[in-house]
Amino acid sequence: MMKISHLTKRYGDKAAVDDLTFTVRPGAVTGFLGPNGAGKSTTMRMILGLDAPTRGHATVGGRAYAGHPAPLTEVGALLEARSVHPGRTAYDHLRALALTHGIPRDRVTHVLELTGLAEVAHRRVKGFSLGMGQRLGIAAALLGDPATVILDEPVNGLDPEGVLWVRNLLKSLAAEGRTVFVSSHLMSEMALTAEHLVIIGRGRLLADTTVAAFVRDAGAGSVQVATPEAARLASLLAGPGIEISPDGDGRLDVRGTDARHIGRTAATHGIPLFELTPQTASLEQAFMDLTRDSVEYNASLKPTAPTMEGASA
Amino acid sequence: MTAATTSSPYVVTPARVLRSEWHKFWTLRSSWITLAASAVLIVGTGLIVAANYDTGGREQVDPIQLGLAGIQLAWITLPVLGVLVTAGEYTTGSIRASLTAVPRRVPVLWAKAAVLTATVFPVTFAACLIGYPLAQALLSGTDQEAPLTDPNVLGAVAGTAAGVTALSVFALGLGALLRSVAGGIGAFVGGVMILPEIVGMIPIDAVDTAVEYFPAQAAGNVSALDALPGLPSPAASLLALGLWAVGTVAVAGVLLKHRDV
Repeated sequence: MMKISHLTKRYGDKAAVDDLTFTVRPGAVTGFLGPNGAGKSTTMRMILGLDAPTRGHATVGGRAYAGHPAPLTEVGALLEARSVHPGRTAYDHLRALALTHGIPRDRVTHVLELTGLAEVAHRRVKGFSLGMGQRLGIAAALLGDPATVILDEPVNGLDPEGVLWVRNLLKSLAAEGRTVFVSSHLMSEMALTAEHLVIIGRGRLLADTTVAAFVRDAGAGSVQVATPEAARLASLLAGPGIEISPDGDGRLDVRGTDARHIGRTAATHGIPLFELTPQTASLEQAFMDLTRDSVEYNASLKPTAPTMEGASA
Repeated sequence: MTAATTSSPYVVTPARVLRSEWHKFWTLRSSWITLAASAVLIVGTGLIVAANYDTGGREQVDPIQLGLAGIQLAWITLPVLGVLVTAGEYTTGSIRASLTAVPRRVPVLWAKAAVLTATVFPVTFAACLIGYPLAQALLSGTDQEAPLTDPNVLGAVAGTAAGVTALSVFALGLGALLRSVAGGIGAFVGGVMILPEIVGMIPIDAVDTAVEYFPAQAAGNVSALDALPGLPSPAASLLALGLWAVGTVAVAGVLLKHRDV
C-alpha cells in the first residue's frame, strides 16, 4: 500500500508535481501514466526519498521510505535513469546493494537468473545493451523481495520478448499480493498490464480510475457515415441514446448504434451510402484527449503561416 | 527496534554499509590501478632522485624529501582516487542506487571515507617503507644518510603516509560537495595546489603563516624531518590536515542529507 498525499515539487515558480493525492493498493498493477515531462519520475524520486517534496508526503507500507530499517525489502525500484557504475559487473553491483542489508549471495544469484542475466553476471555493465541495463535495474528492484515494486518505464529499450517478460512479471508480482506501480507514457502498454490507472499531466492528477472504467468512458466508438442525404438519414436514425453530429459535407458521426443498423436503415429507405466506417475506441486517443491540455511540448500540426495554406492547397 | 516490527533478518547497519562500500571500492578497476600506480611512483621516483643526488644539499632538502620525492606525485593521484570514490557515483548515476539502499545517506559518506583511509594509508605506508630504505641504499656515504632506525625518521615516514591519506580524504569530501569528477579534480588542483602559491605572494606575515596550514603545505610539513624554524610542527600540521579532511567530509555530509539527488 502506497499513499501519496498533496505531494508537490516546485523548481522556482514551476511546479513539476502539483498537489498529487492518490493511493496505490496491493494485489494489482497500477499504471502511472502521463506524457513526457508530466512529473512521473519526479513523483517516483520523491516516493524513494531521493528528492524532497516542497509540500506533502508519500508513505509506503505506512512509513516514509527512509523510515524503513530495511528499505530494499519494503520497496524495490527501477528508476528511469541508469543507476549503475559502468565499470562494475552486474553481480558486483547487486552484491554491493545486498551487502548494505545483509542479503545473502544466493539471492543475488537468484535475481540474476530470474532476469536472464546469469550469463553476463560477471561482465562489466559498460558493455550492456539498453535492454540488459533495464533487466539489471529490474534485478536490483527485486533483490530485497519487496512488498512494493516501483518501476519507471520498465519496457524502455526491451525487445518484444523482453516486453512480454515484463508484462508477465508485473502480473505475477501483483498476483503474489505485492503493490506494483509502473509508469509509462504509452496507454496501449498499460492497457495490457494494469488494472488501475493514475494519470497525470503537468504534475496534476487527471484521473485515478480503473482500466475498465477508462475504456468504458472512452466510449464504445462511433460510426462515420458519408451520404448525399445526410439530413434525412440523421432524422431516420435519431432516437434515445443515439448521438449524431453532422460535420457538413455529407458526413455524420453517429454514436450509440452500430454500422449494421445504420446500413439497414439506409437500405430500407433507399439512401445511398458512400462510406460506413466503424471507429474503434482507441485508448491511446482517449488518453491523448485527456492529456492534450497538459502536454509539455505541443507539436503544432497546423500550418502557422497563411501562405503555407495556399501552397499546400 | 522491537522484534515485532519485522521478522526479516535484513536491516541496514553502519557495519553493513561499510562492507558494501569496501566491496564497491575493490570492484572497480580504477581503484586498483590508481593505488598500484601511486605505490610505483612513490618507490620509483625516490630511487631516481636518490640515484642522481650529489652530496652537499642537506641544507635545502632532507632525506625524507629525497627518498620519498614520489609522494608529491601521489598527492595528485590519490586525491583523484578520493574524488572518484564520491563524485564518480554522481557522474555514473550509481549514487541513486546507493542512496536508495541507504536512504539515511550520511553513513554512505562516512563509510567511503573510512574505506579510503583504511586503504590509502597502509598502501602508501608500505610503499614508503619499501622505497625509503632502497633510496637510502643509494644515498649511503652522502650527507643524506638517515636509516629508518634514526630518531624521528620512522615518524616522518609515517607522517608522509598520513599526510597523503588526509589529502585524499579531503579530496573525497570535495568530490561529494561538487558531485562531479571534473569539478572535484579541478577544485583540488586549483584550490589546493595552485591557490596557496598565489595567496602566498601577498606580503603579509599572517597570510604566510596561514598558508602553511593549507592542505598541501600541511602535508609537506607533516613529513619534515628537521623541524624548520617558523614552520608548524609535524603534529600541528597533522592536526590541521585532519581538520581539513574531517571538516570537508562533514560539510559534504550535511549537504548530502539535504540536497536532492
